[in-house]
Amino acid sequence: MVDPIGAGLIAIASAIAVGATGIGAALGEQMIGSAAVGVMAEDEGFFGRGLVMTVIPESIVIFGLVVALILLFVTLPSLG
Amino acid sequence: MFEPQPMTKVIIVGSKDYMNIAIDAMFKHNVIHITDFVDEDEDFKIGKPHESITKLSERAVTLRSLASYLSIKGKEDISKKYPEGAIIDAIEEKTEQLDVEVTQVTDKISEIDSKIKDINDKKRLLAPLKSFELPLELYTGYQSLAVFFGTLKGSPNISDITNDYELETAPYGRGLTISLFVPRKFEDEVLKRLQEQGYSTLPLPKMEGVPKDILVNLEPQLVGLQSEKQKREEDLADLRKKHIEYILASDEYLSVETQKAEAPLRFATTKNSFIVEGWIPTKDLGLIQSDLDGATNGHVIVDVDSSEAVDVEKVPVALKNPLPAKPLEVLVRAFSIPKYNEIDPTKLMVFMYPALFGLMLGDLGYGLLVIALGLLVSRLIKSQGMRDLAIIGVYAGIFSVIFGFIFNEFFGVEAFGHRGLITSVEYTAAPRLENVFNLLLITFIIGLLMLTLAYVLGFVNEFRQHGLKHAIYTKVSWLCMLWGGAIAVTLVLPALSSGSGIQLSLGLIAGLVVLVVGFILMIMGEGAIGLTEVPTLLSNVLSYSRLLSIGVSSLGIALAVNKLSDALFFSKGGIFVIFGVILLIVGHAINTALGILDSGLQALRLHYVEFFTKFYRGGGIKYVPFGFERKYTEEK
Repeated sequence: MVDPIGAGLIAIASAIAVGATGIGAALGEQMIGSAAVGVMAEDEGFFGRGLVMTVIPESIVIFGLVVALILLFVTLPSLG
Repeated sequence: MFEPQPMTKVIIVGSKDYMNIAIDAMFKHNVIHITDFVDEDEDFKIGKPHESITKLSERAVTLRSLASYLSIKGKEDISKKYPEGAIIDAIEEKTEQLDVEVTQVTDKISEIDSKIKDINDKKRLLAPLKSFELPLELYTGYQSLAVFFGTLKGSPNISDITNDYELETAPYGRGLTISLFVPRKFEDEVLKRLQEQGYSTLPLPKMEGVPKDILVNLEPQLVGLQSEKQKREEDLADLRKKHIEYILASDEYLSVETQKAEAPLRFATTKNSFIVEGWIPTKDLGLIQSDLDGATNGHVIVDVDSSEAVDVEKVPVALKNPLPAKPLEVLVRAFSIPKYNEIDPTKLMVFMYPALFGLMLGDLGYGLLVIALGLLVSRLIKSQGMRDLAIIGVYAGIFSVIFGFIFNEFFGVEAFGHRGLITSVEYTAAPRLENVFNLLLITFIIGLLMLTLAYVLGFVNEFRQHGLKHAIYTKVSWLCMLWGGAIAVTLVLPALSSGSGIQLSLGLIAGLVVLVVGFILMIMGEGAIGLTEVPTLLSNVLSYSRLLSIGVSSLGIALAVNKLSDALFFSKGGIFVIFGVILLIVGHAINTALGILDSGLQALRLHYVEFFTKFYRGGGIKYVPFGFERKYTEEK
C-alpha cells in the first residue's frame, strides 16, 4: 500500500508539471500566434511556417505531460 | 525517385505574323511555364497585347455583372460542356439580349424595393401616432395654438402654467408619445417644462387622414408589393436556369481569350519577331516542338536552351508523385515548394504522417470515425484542398485503427481480451496506460530513426548542392552527435538512476568517440558557435514523446467520458439511460474533434519542425503552365 500522503504529493507534483508548463506554453504561443496572424494578413503563404512557429512552445507542455505521466504511471506504482 | 518533374528550358522564336497561331498552340497544351520578359532595351521590347483585349474586357465586365445579378458564382457543376464555336458566333448578340432581359427584371425589382422602403418609412413615422384619433392635417396651421408633438419620459404636468390645453398620450418605448395643444402665449413656458421632462420632438408625417386608417391601408399595399417582388425573383431564377450554361461557358471563353490576348506582355519582341523563354516538362518537349512546327508551317521554332549553366533557383517545380501520394502535396506545399534539385518529401510523408497520427490517436472507434468522416468530406466537398485533407484523414484513420488493435482500445474501452467488449478474442495487446514507460522509450526510438533519415536526406541534398565536404561537415557531424549521444545516454542513464556508478564499457567508449567525432566535424564546418545548437538535438528527440502523451491524454478524456456517463446516469437506470447516451455521444464527439485536431497538428509539427529542418529548405518556384483547364467549354 502506498503511503496516501506520498501518493497525494505525487498527484500534486504531476498537476504542477502539467499546469505550470501549460501556462508557460500559453504565454509563448500567445505572442507567436498574434505575430503569425499579423504576417498572414500580409502573406497567406506564411500559413504553414506560421503554424509551425506557433506550436513550437507546445513542446514545453508536452515535456510537462511526460513528466506527469511518468510520475503517475511509473513512479507511483513502483512505490507500492 | 524523390525528384520533381524534369524540366527543359526552351526558347521559342518566330515571326510576329505567326505569333497568334503560336499562342493558340501553346495555350492548348497547357504545359509551358513562361518566364516573363522584363529587361527591355533598344532591340528587345515587351510585346503589346492583342488589339481585341479592350473589347474582350468590356464583354467580360457585362457578363460578370449579369452573373452576379443571377447569383452565378462560377463554381457550379455543369454536366454538359458548351461548344466553343457556338459562343464565338453568338456572344455579341446573345450577351446584349440577355443584358436587356436581366436588366428589365432587376430594374423592376429595385423599383419595388424602393416602394417597399417608402412604405416602411411611413409605417415607422406613423407607429408612435397610431392610437391618436386626430387626422394628421389638423396638427398644423394654427395661429393661436402651439402644438407639441414628441416623446416624453413621463406624463407632462403643466396645470400650474395653464389649464387651457388639449393633451393626448400613448405609451411609446419606455415613455410616452404626446400631442399637446396650448395657447400660443404659453408656448415658451410649456416648452421649457417639457424639456425638463426629457421632451424630444418627433417628425410629423406629411400625410392626410387618421394615422390608424393610413396604416390599415398601407398593409395590403405592402403585401401586394412583396408578392410582386417574389414573382420577379422567380423570373430571375428562371433566367438563371435557362442561361447558366451559356454564362459560365462564355465567361470561361472570355477568360481564355483574354489570357491569350495578354500573352505578348510576357514576350520579348523585336520589329518583326517574338521570343518566348520558358520551361517545359521534358516529357512534353517533343509534342510541343512538332505541334508548333506543324501549326505554323515551320515559321516558329522551339529550341532547347542548353547554352549556359542553368540556375536551379529559377527552374519551376512541378511535383511528381503517384496518385495515392498526391494529397500529401498539400502538406508539403503549405511548408514550401521544394527547389528543383531538392528532395521532395511527399512520398515519405504518405507513410510517416498517417503513422504518427495513428500512433497518437490509436483507437479503433475514433479511427473508424475518422475514416468515415474523411470519406464523407471527400465525397461532399468540392474544394480540392479540403478533399486532399480528407483523403489524408482516411490514411490517418486506417493507421489509427491498426494502432487501435495494438493498444486494444475502442472509444477508451478495452476492445478485446480481459473485461473488453469482445471477450472471446484474446491476444497480446499493449494497453497504453499499462505500458507508459515502454511506449515512451519507443517514441524516442522513432524520433532517433526519423532524425537519422532526415540527416541522410540532408546529406544527399547538401551533396548535390554544395559537394561532399560540405555534406560531411553539416550532416554527418550531426548524425555522429545524434547516435554517439544516444548510445552514451542509453548506457549512462540506467546506472545513474539506480545509483550503481558508471561502468566504462566498450559500447560507452564507442559512443563517446562517435560523439566527439561529431563535435570535431561540426566545429570544422561551422565553428565553435555551432555548439550552441547541440542542445536542440536533445529536445528534438524528446519532442517525439508527444506521440505518447497526446495519445494518453486523448485516452484519458475518453475514459473520463465513459466513467462519468456510467457513474452519473447508466448506474441509475430508467430514464437516465437516455442522458447517459447523450453524454457519451457528445463527449466522444468532442474528443474525436480534439483528437483529429491535436494529432493532426502535432504529427505535422513533428514533420515540419523536427524532420524537415534537417534537410528541407524549399523556396522553389511553382510551375504555372500557360493555358487553362476548361470546365465549361469544349474546344472547337
